[in-house]
Amino acid sequence: MQGFSDGGADLAQLQSTMRTIEVACTSIQMHINPTAAEATILSLAQSPQPYKACQFILENSQVANARFQAVAAIRDAAIREWSFLSNEDRRSLISFCLCFIMQHASSPEGYVQAKVSSVAAQLMKRGWLEFTAAEKEAFFYQVKQAILGAHGVDVQFIGVNFLESLISEFSPSTSSAMGLPREFHEQCRTSLELNYLKTFYFWARDAALSVTNKIIESDAVIPEVKVCTAALRLMLQILNWEFRHDTNSTKASINVFSAVVRHDNASSKRSECVLVQPGPAWCDVLISSGHVGWLLGLYAALRQKFSCKGYWLDCPIAVSARKLIVQFCSLTGSIFASDNGKMQENHMLQLLSGILQWIDPPDVVSKAIEEGKCESEMLDGCRALLSIATVTTHFVFDQLLKAIRPFGTLTLLSTLMCEVVKVLMTNNTDEETWSWEARDILLDTWTILLVPMDGSGGNALLPPEGKHAAANIFAMIVESELKVASASVANDDGDSDYLQASISAMDERLSSYALIARAAIDITIPLLTRHFSERFVRLDQGRGIIDPTETLEELYSLLLITGHVLADEGDGETPLVPTAIQTDFVDIVEAEKHPVVVLSASIIRFAEQSMDPEVRATVFSPRLMEAVIWFLARWSHTYLMPLEESKCHLSHGYDHQHQSIHSRKALLSFFGEHNQGQIVLNIIVRISTMTLMSYPGEKDLQGLTCHHLLHTLVRRKNICHKLVSLDSWRDLANAFINEKVLFLLSSANQRSLAQTLVLSASGLRNSEASNQYVRGLMVHMTTYLVELSNKKNLKSVAQQPDIIMSVSCFLERLRGAASAAEPRTQRAVYEMGISVMNPVLLLLEVYKHESAVIYLLLKFIVDWVDGQISYLEAQETASVIDFCMRLLQLYSSHNIGKISISLSSTLLSEAKTEKYKDLRALLQLLSSLCSKDLVDFSSDSIEVEGTNISQVVYFGLHIVTPLISLELLKYPKLCHDYFSLLSHILEVYPETFAQLNSDAFAHIVGTLDFGLHHQDLEVVNMCLGALKALASYHYRKMCAGKTGLGSHAAGHGNFPEGIFSRFLRSLLQLLLFEDYSPDLVSAAADALLPLILCEQGVYQRLGNELIERQANPMLKSRLANALHSLTSSNHLSSTLDRVNYQRFRKNLNSLLIEVRGFLRTM
Amino acid sequence: MSDEEHHFESKADAGASKTYPQQAGTIRKNGYIVIKARPCKVVEVSTSKTGKHGHAKCHFVGIDIFTAKKLEDIVPSSHNCDVPHVNRTDYQLIDISEDGFVSLLTESGDTKDDLRLPTDDNLLKQIKDGFAEGKDLVVSVMSAMGEEQICALKDIGPK
Repeated sequence: MQGFSDGGADLAQLQSTMRTIEVACTSIQMHINPTAAEATILSLAQSPQPYKACQFILENSQVANARFQAVAAIRDAAIREWSFLSNEDRRSLISFCLCFIMQHASSPEGYVQAKVSSVAAQLMKRGWLEFTAAEKEAFFYQVKQAILGAHGVDVQFIGVNFLESLISEFSPSTSSAMGLPREFHEQCRTSLELNYLKTFYFWARDAALSVTNKIIESDAVIPEVKVCTAALRLMLQILNWEFRHDTNSTKASINVFSAVVRHDNASSKRSECVLVQPGPAWCDVLISSGHVGWLLGLYAALRQKFSCKGYWLDCPIAVSARKLIVQFCSLTGSIFASDNGKMQENHMLQLLSGILQWIDPPDVVSKAIEEGKCESEMLDGCRALLSIATVTTHFVFDQLLKAIRPFGTLTLLSTLMCEVVKVLMTNNTDEETWSWEARDILLDTWTILLVPMDGSGGNALLPPEGKHAAANIFAMIVESELKVASASVANDDGDSDYLQASISAMDERLSSYALIARAAIDITIPLLTRHFSERFVRLDQGRGIIDPTETLEELYSLLLITGHVLADEGDGETPLVPTAIQTDFVDIVEAEKHPVVVLSASIIRFAEQSMDPEVRATVFSPRLMEAVIWFLARWSHTYLMPLEESKCHLSHGYDHQHQSIHSRKALLSFFGEHNQGQIVLNIIVRISTMTLMSYPGEKDLQGLTCHHLLHTLVRRKNICHKLVSLDSWRDLANAFINEKVLFLLSSANQRSLAQTLVLSASGLRNSEASNQYVRGLMVHMTTYLVELSNKKNLKSVAQQPDIIMSVSCFLERLRGAASAAEPRTQRAVYEMGISVMNPVLLLLEVYKHESAVIYLLLKFIVDWVDGQISYLEAQETASVIDFCMRLLQLYSSHNIGKISISLSSTLLSEAKTEKYKDLRALLQLLSSLCSKDLVDFSSDSIEVEGTNISQVVYFGLHIVTPLISLELLKYPKLCHDYFSLLSHILEVYPETFAQLNSDAFAHIVGTLDFGLHHQDLEVVNMCLGALKALASYHYRKMCAGKTGLGSHAAGHGNFPEGIFSRFLRSLLQLLLFEDYSPDLVSAAADALLPLILCEQGVYQRLGNELIERQANPMLKSRLANALHSLTSSNHLSSTLDRVNYQRFRKNLNSLLIEVRGFLRTM
Repeated sequence: MSDEEHHFESKADAGASKTYPQQAGTIRKNGYIVIKARPCKVVEVSTSKTGKHGHAKCHFVGIDIFTAKKLEDIVPSSHNCDVPHVNRTDYQLIDISEDGFVSLLTESGDTKDDLRLPTDDNLLKQIKDGFAEGKDLVVSVMSAMGEEQICALKDIGPK
């Protein structure tokens, strides 16, 4: 809208602009035609140089919203036009904003003030690297005067507020976007941190100091409180800054092996606890100047005032002061002199003694809260403990309190948490009460203190008093968990209560419990044993008389807790027996009396009772059985036939005590191969088979058994070795082959069971035997499929539901077996696949309408090819590839041009989803075939048989791409798979791309165009990569005097202009005019350079068009220059090497900064 | 699911060979199930427990494959459900008669003239237009529990 431009800037025009904006703002508020009003306001921001008008509105308008919009417009326009504003203009805009807030310091419209101050901050940052030190000084002089109170309390407050906006603007996580590269923000951050941050802190502190006495002396709320609160907030914000440039010690994280590792380690674990590491330069202001003493004194004084009017526990100044105190607890790093931590200890002791009043004595505090006192001070006390724990070791932590109390900090922590848990137990509601929050914070504190830090897995021993404290709190925790469990039986919302869900929800809590229990392991294990045996007895005696549900639920909880205490989650590795358990039982000589053995054995014996049908019916509910299976899986992963004890000796060199070695040996060997291991393994296998056979339809339980327990067993070679010799395992395999009940397992379980059984074949003596074993397992399934497909009436038989079910079941099993292929069993799995090749094609035909079966067929083939392809010899590869091509062709002939019809939109969208899943599987198949070129273990090259993988994949693309519609590409995973396959192919085999027929070519080009404008960054990146590959291939060929992409590049038929000029145009359009992430610029540059080189003439023309379109002569010449330097500056040459790409990236970046601002507004 | 909807639960008219019993726990999404004597495609299966320590039960949401009505059922997962025998046959379309019936060519060379055009406008249009343009159209006819309906259309067009 030209009307807003202030070329003439006469008063009447300014006033009319102001009125227009005011009307627009009011109508938005009244909700009258908001779209038009928004457009009006937007046009102000987008008009060139609207500053005068905006300033006029700010100074004269009575409508607060209009002022707000005006300053927002200044921001937008200035950021956009920054590069061609004069230095004078820039500075005057900033001064204007600063003066404005100072002058209107007492204005009641806080949000306008805040906006103006944030705009000032943003503009200052925008020019930060260009302004001279003196220019910055001039701005800050004004601010400093204000903060120190030269112009009264209101201005003081505004000054502090401005610094707050400025700092949040400079901190990368809260900065606003300016369309500049990330380096700019980094440079600003560094500069501020090194040169100004500490000064700002001084100012804030001085501002607070200047009003402290007034606040303490007065009983009423005075205006100074506002200033003090703001100053405290600013100090907190500065301490929250992510300090990078710790000048003295180079960053701790660089030296990963140094002793300070603990800090990084801990902070990554508990991200909510920010460490404050400002470095030695800050020592004077934060530590040695008595600053903390002042702060604690201020808060203590505020505490006295809580009874006065206007002050209360949660009044802003009290909250800010407490937050700042808690923040000081996280202070660490090189700010403290290297005097063995003395200085830091003193600092923390000072803080702790101040905080102590908030939480001590715990029973009194918790009683007061239950009676209605506000809990925030107590919670902040807990947070302070957490912060202190984060920066210390448990030893230092415990010692701190001993200086002023007869007991250590751990004891205080334990009693405090006991109180909290007691409160939690008495009012057990679903709402998150204060005791929940306190419990979580304190639990985190324990975790951070106890979590092993040295990476050896050992947590150092607590002193006896601390151990006692840990044992107490653990007993309390168990009691409360049991109470929660038995109470939960009453509320019957069992629907959401699944084992996996409840474990993962509780997992963090459970592992914290485990840490606490392990800190006092010799007390807590017998405690758990007692709890178990009490409940076993109760069940035994009460059978048939009392409803056992409560006891079952308690056992469920106990099993989860005990599982976590005894063993760690493997995360794919084999977990060792926890160090505490290995080392802490010193005087145990007889293995049978080892507390861990006693506890484990009692649980296993209990589990074994489930084999008795009668007991099973009364005691072992599916839910309890889930917990039993879960426990057995976790336990056996660690304890069952552990890799020999000798290995554990090597890993820990610090066992001097002979006896401790003894007890460890006893524990480790008890469930070892040569002792009880085989018996326990046998029990576990029998229990597993039983859950699969005797709990029909309990998918979750069976899932746990298959995926968790059985899978764990076959992961270890030595266990597989034993397994294949056990009768119980043979029984399981036989049941798998013959038992109808096992055909009823759900699909995922079916697959997993097949996989497990095939994997166990690795326990046999040699490859011959292993292959034989796999053949024996699978031959029934393959024979069935072969026979079925040979039936004359296949077409009608196949549609019967029972046949469909068997086919699905067997396909799942084949797929499971296919995914378990290892070098040792590869032959058998290969033969299995080969034997069903024909049936697969026949079934694909008869089930073409049965999407669920089709999907299974495809997935089986995908997994089978994926597992086999790298092992196959040339001849075999050729036949597998031939088969895949037939499969692809058949699939596509069924699906191209097909229109499904249904009245139900749900069914239609289901059909679409199914199609999407099929196609995704096919893309995966193509990707696997592609990988043959990269990973190949066969003895001869596949070229011997004349198989060219790139040809195959292109042929495949020809078949598959017509099925992939732009509609389907809206499924993110499919889209992702498709483009990653495409970019891979184009990078590796661009030459075959040239040979595609024009339809397929056009289709792929169409999808590339689609992908280029996709929202997903990665998809766009892959498309850019594909373009780069294509264009650079073409350019290189052209340079070598060949045709490159030939007719495709020249353009014909539907694309008269040729693909490169087409993409050149659309990429330029994207880069200059559209929205995209700045992260894409480098990838775009890499694609743009070869495109320009391919089509230099077109590029010239496009550039000229752009320049011609520009009306303003100044902008015209800027654009011309910028475009010129894109291709000429930085010694850019016309080769495609790394250096040149890098230069071009730089050039493109500067072009975009230079011209995007004005191009986009036209 | 309310109880009053239960009252015409009878398998008598379904015919013995038209459905098969199958354990509820094994019926998956995208499979078929009979709910209230109607053949349905399963679009959602969820399991829950009867009480905390009780047995699993399956909750099915199905869509009637002919009428597109949504039906629901809850069955203990170890019990059996009826699964309909759903058959699909492809026929070449040879004629559309004035009174709304189609004439189809069977594999054996006979004609099948007892099937109505679908009621859905969109589909109707596609069939009529395609036929009018002289395309070679193949229609898939889905049949289950004594009912049949055209469910898909494919242009095998002049190559």
